[in-house]
Amino acid sequence: MIPRERCSYSAIVDRPPLILPDRARLVVWTIVNLEFWDIARPMARQVLPAPTGQVLLPDVPNWSWHEYGMRVGVWRFFKLFARLGIRPTLSINARVCEEYERVARAARDAGWEFMGHAWEQMPIHNVADQAQMIAQSLDLLQRFAGTRPVGWLGPGLTETEETPDLLAAAGVKYIGDWVYDDEPTEIRTAHGPLITLPYSVELNDIPMMLVQHHESAYFTQRCIDSFERLYREGAERAKIMAIAVHPYISGQPHRIKYLEAVYEHVNRYAGVLHWNGAEILDWYEAAKERA
Amino acid sequence: MLPTERLEFSVIAERPKLQLPYGARLVVWLIVNVEEWEPTQPMPRTVLTPPAGGAPMPDIPNWAWHEYGNRVGFWRMLDVIDEHRIRAVLAVNGSAIRRYEPIARAALERGWEFIGHGFTQKNMQKVPDEREDIRKTAAAIREVTGRSPRGWLGPGLTETWETPDLLVEEGYDYVCDWVLDDEPVQLRTRTRPIVNIPYTQECNDVAMMLIQHHKASEYYDRAIDQFEQLYNDAGPSRPSEGASGPSGPSDGSARVMALVVHPYIMGAPHRLKYFRNVLAHIRQHRDVLFWTGEEILNWYTAQRAAFTP
Repeated sequence: MIPRERCSYSAIVDRPPLILPDRARLVVWTIVNLEFWDIARPMARQVLPAPTGQVLLPDVPNWSWHEYGMRVGVWRFFKLFARLGIRPTLSINARVCEEYERVARAARDAGWEFMGHAWEQMPIHNVADQAQMIAQSLDLLQRFAGTRPVGWLGPGLTETEETPDLLAAAGVKYIGDWVYDDEPTEIRTAHGPLITLPYSVELNDIPMMLVQHHESAYFTQRCIDSFERLYREGAERAKIMAIAVHPYISGQPHRIKYLEAVYEHVNRYAGVLHWNGAEILDWYEAAKERA
Repeated sequence: MLPTERLEFSVIAERPKLQLPYGARLVVWLIVNVEEWEPTQPMPRTVLTPPAGGAPMPDIPNWAWHEYGNRVGFWRMLDVIDEHRIRAVLAVNGSAIRRYEPIARAALERGWEFIGHGFTQKNMQKVPDEREDIRKTAAAIREVTGRSPRGWLGPGLTETWETPDLLVEEGYDYVCDWVLDDEPVQLRTRTRPIVNIPYTQECNDVAMMLIQHHKASEYYDRAIDQFEQLYNDAGPSRPSEGASGPSGPSDGSARVMALVVHPYIMGAPHRLKYFRNVLAHIRQHRDVLFWTGEEILNWYTAQRAAFTP
């Protein structure tokens, strides 16, 4: 199905406002992405292309650069979120539970929500059997974390035309790939409705740092600019602000303080909730039922 | 026809001076581009490349990122444009008019001008039948406004050798693809001439944010710098002041400044205030007009008639 068959155009101003408990204005949804990069294949992202732009196999420098996130960067995240009392959503390639068990265990023990994020990091178009891969990923996450994930984010947010159908069939309740609204929405699938949660490609360190090449400090500025606008709009209708980070990017020594500064800023305001994807989903489903 | 066959080279300082009414120096026009991106095609722009590169299809994340502009971003920008009492120009894909009917309705209710922007967001050199595309776009606009559009902006400003000829033959009076001057100019076609109104790739959020990857605040900084210089250029005739600030001689000839926005870019929450602050700054000047393209066209046509014996 193409997107139009899943969901019609809807202008936000034509919908009844969603209301948060206790007149809160805004939900901050933090997503930490953990990935497995197979050294046998081209790397998902590169900080340093090879001289003259040749494809490099194996690509040890860029593999190492990502590996730094698992060895060092992610521990800065754990420390930060423990101090703030925030339990983010963990968008996790299932294979990470095996290859980086120590990291996955720390997230589980800290009570983070596990969200499916494919088996490993490659465009979902290249997966030979998506249904099998989805089942294998969710099964492993369930075994590891004790509960079956309700959420899913495609690797690089990628989907084929059937992905939402396969996810719904596998019992997934929400996806983050549809960054087309400030509110959750419902889309059609061959196996009943699926909820989209407003993940972000704007407040996301991949587009900002690796594609657009912004300075580290701009992460704080852009998040605060977004927050201030959405907080104002949140007086009339509930707003959700997703912040997506990766340990090999925002976990760098020179970037971590700009992530910390975002939370310092938003936590000065009343009516700001820190929820994970499953909590947003529960609230939205209850709100829909009341309406 | 080659560009050089459509118009002669001309030095701005050597032309008759253009005069705006009410003693205004400068006219600003605001163009809001509303597009429909076909989910079965490669996306015209992307914010996120897939892991390990390539261009797998379909491209749902980038489709959704653009769609955000029409579901949410446009409405945020509309508040700001209303707040500053501006009638903007909606450069709209013909197909987007029906798809995003609430947007077309909101623009119509406010008396915005509708101009053609291709039937779809596809390079005009790749459109199978260019005349048909131009005609269908006019028909789609006529259906909602009751009038044929007078203006045209190519998708991505693209043209073939024939585009201006076809536009005139299909009833358009002005085009904005030729970003070659601060004043309108007239282009020859194989029938009657067509006017080009200064559009911009400089104060344009696609070029600035998606290609050059500037911070959102640069939209504000650049627009203010552009405005201050053009405001200076169009001031009462005097020699150069040199030193700091907008400088160079003023010649007393009116200038046109374009501001270009797309709902999926400047309508993002983190960018909106920079757009808003540009409008607030310009609105403080009493001798600056906000006009639609059609108003600029009518004024320029009358000015030209006065020059020509």
